Amino acid sequence: MGTTVEIYLYAADSQQARTLFDAAFEEIERIDATLSTYRPASEISRINARAGTEPVTTDPEVFQLINSALSYSRSTDGAFDITVGSLREAWGFFRGVGQYPTKAELDRAKENAGWQYVALDSAARTIQFLRPGLELDLGAIGKGYALDRAAVVLSASGVERALLGAGQSSYLALGAPPGKTGWEVRVALPDNLPLGVTEQQERVLSKVLLHDASLSTSGSSEKFFELEGRRYSHIIDPRTGRPADGMVQVTVVASTAAESDALSTSAFVLGEDHGATWLRERPGVTALLVVGTLERARIDTVNWSQLVESTDDAKSADKRP
Amino acid sequence: MDRRSFLKTSSSAVVGSSLIGLGAQTSAARTIAPSDQVRFGVIGVGSRGKAMMRRFLREPGVSIGALCDVYEPRLDEGREITGEATPVYDDYARMLDEVGDLDAVLVATPLSFHAEHMIAALDRGLHVYGEKAMGFTVDDCNAIVEGVRRNDRLFQIGQQWRYSPWYREAIERVHSGEIGQVSHVYGYWHRNYNWRRNVPEPSLERLINWRLYREYSGGLMAELGSHQIDIANWVFGEMPDAVMGSGGIDFFHDGRETFDNVQAIFTYPSGGTFVFSSLIGNHKVGYQIQIFGTGGTVELTLADGTLFFEPARERSAVPKELIERGIYTTPTLSTQGDMPYRGAGLPIEIPEGPAGEPTYQAAASFVESIRQDKRPFADELVGWRTAVPVALGNRAIQSRDRIDFADYVEAP
Repeated sequence: MGTTVEIYLYAADSQQARTLFDAAFEEIERIDATLSTYRPASEISRINARAGTEPVTTDPEVFQLINSALSYSRSTDGAFDITVGSLREAWGFFRGVGQYPTKAELDRAKENAGWQYVALDSAARTIQFLRPGLELDLGAIGKGYALDRAAVVLSASGVERALLGAGQSSYLALGAPPGKTGWEVRVALPDNLPLGVTEQQERVLSKVLLHDASLSTSGSSEKFFELEGRRYSHIIDPRTGRPADGMVQVTVVASTAAESDALSTSAFVLGEDHGATWLRERPGVTALLVVGTLERARIDTVNWSQLVESTDDAKSADKRP
Repeated sequence: MDRRSFLKTSSSAVVGSSLIGLGAQTSAARTIAPSDQVRFGVIGVGSRGKAMMRRFLREPGVSIGALCDVYEPRLDEGREITGEATPVYDDYARMLDEVGDLDAVLVATPLSFHAEHMIAALDRGLHVYGEKAMGFTVDDCNAIVEGVRRNDRLFQIGQQWRYSPWYREAIERVHSGEIGQVSHVYGYWHRNYNWRRNVPEPSLERLINWRLYREYSGGLMAELGSHQIDIANWVFGEMPDAVMGSGGIDFFHDGRETFDNVQAIFTYPSGGTFVFSSLIGNHKVGYQIQIFGTGGTVELTLADGTLFFEPARERSAVPKELIERGIYTTPTLSTQGDMPYRGAGLPIEIPEGPAGEPTYQAAASFVESIRQDKRPFADELVGWRTAVPVALGNRAIQSRDRIDFADYVEAP
């Protein structure tokens, strides 16, 4: 997964905590071994290797996850897309460095992308690529899904209070700490600390008390690169083939981590004009958006006030020119 | 069953397994056309059972027709995979009696129940994919092989490394003589992990942590060692004829009965030696198999294989024609004195073949065996030649004796 997973939980003693951690991480490892595009033996790698030439049958879990990712693609008219690996490659994201692709490189990468070229047959549980160069990458939803599954394992083991985090950008809360109404998660101001549960008080945009819910943040300040004085996010806009712009940071609270992951990425790509509107159409979702550019940012919210006790920092952020 | 009569009948079939065995036809009565559905019943819906169910469901035309487990939450977890409509049972005999259209059964129960569950399925005319180790005792192992023969069904043992492309390639190259004469195989499976599962309430301890109790489990020798014994058998083309070992509970004094570390030395009739070590208090070496030949070494892990060649020496047994072909020359290791070699080796390249990991390959191959009425590569004899050394290896450690297999089974 290329990310750090952290788990906080309450247990009777350290041995019980250890077996619970082992069980949760074993499940996360199972999901990673199934979904990782970096592992040649993963199920996604098997699908990527074969679905360009024939329909590939997969198990119900993987099929359902791909199906759900494609439903986000439909609902966002392609702003969310699990087939943009070729574009991420063209922009050098896999190597952790940015590069500006030539027009020919970009055109070629675009030919090998497009969610509408993934054909599913739910009766036979098959996946077929209608363009042979296509590749699936479930990174934008898989990290959250791994947290969801780990939480299922913990719940089944009797755990009622836990906080699971991935890469300091997704948090999933089971219950709340004793005597509290939720797990406190702080949304950092962009261009500063990533989202985290540290004691760091400075530059916190908002505090959330998370209870049986998940929070995900997509931002351009955590992962970005600069070329010729311009900053590009690591999130591709599949519709243009270029790094998404018009949004600085999107934080979404939803019922599952797979959903909050997908929603925050979708809204980030939908951008200044459509991100918040699209989120408002989705029941039960709350969101905190930093819209525009770092130089000219404004705050927009979707039902966020129910959760947020606005801090002084957030107010000052609001007043940024 | 009489042990000797069993082995008399089986000994002719106990030959070194090789890839050539893959295509052997059995005389099973019914042949399923390739387009046909293959329906599985599952006995044992724990972590391994679920993992195998997912693998089988990646094959076109495979479905899971029924689930059986004695622990109810597992049935819900199983239905998460197969769908809410799948019939569930807490009694395997009822499942086998009532669900009429099954073709095969996946048995993934605690080791001490394997023989009962596998033989029941075979006796109802069903093919069996049985988790390793095949049987708990030598008698169990004999009875399972007898059950396969009596019913003329297909049996595949869950020793999936037999289906790993890099294992196949590596061992084919070992057999071709590329690292000279192979005398020793060393296998390590080390973890830093208490091997416990969380137990919701104390009464479920032995059910959920069955691996830790001798009534049900062969411990590390069975759960981890079986895979590596099988690889040594594959390399040597035979099974061991003696074992000695030691082990103990040295890391986790928590009421467990199976050892948290075992070391065993298996010797083979033609002179080979397999040294096995498993401990769960240190993770440094992880999982490794080292195949030592007079001309080189092959190292196998869970993800890849690497080849190292010995320095050019007169006694090197690398066949001359391989040296002439230049294979010998490139990655020859060189060291200072007796310092270990710390350089890179030559990665074992996997030839073009189907993608996917070994457990999926094993599942896909079993489905193909059923459809084509073809004996599985990892058949009941591969299982027998592994599970018997597991049982006798544990006996050697517990009795602190060197065990000659001939005292318990007829030497193959």
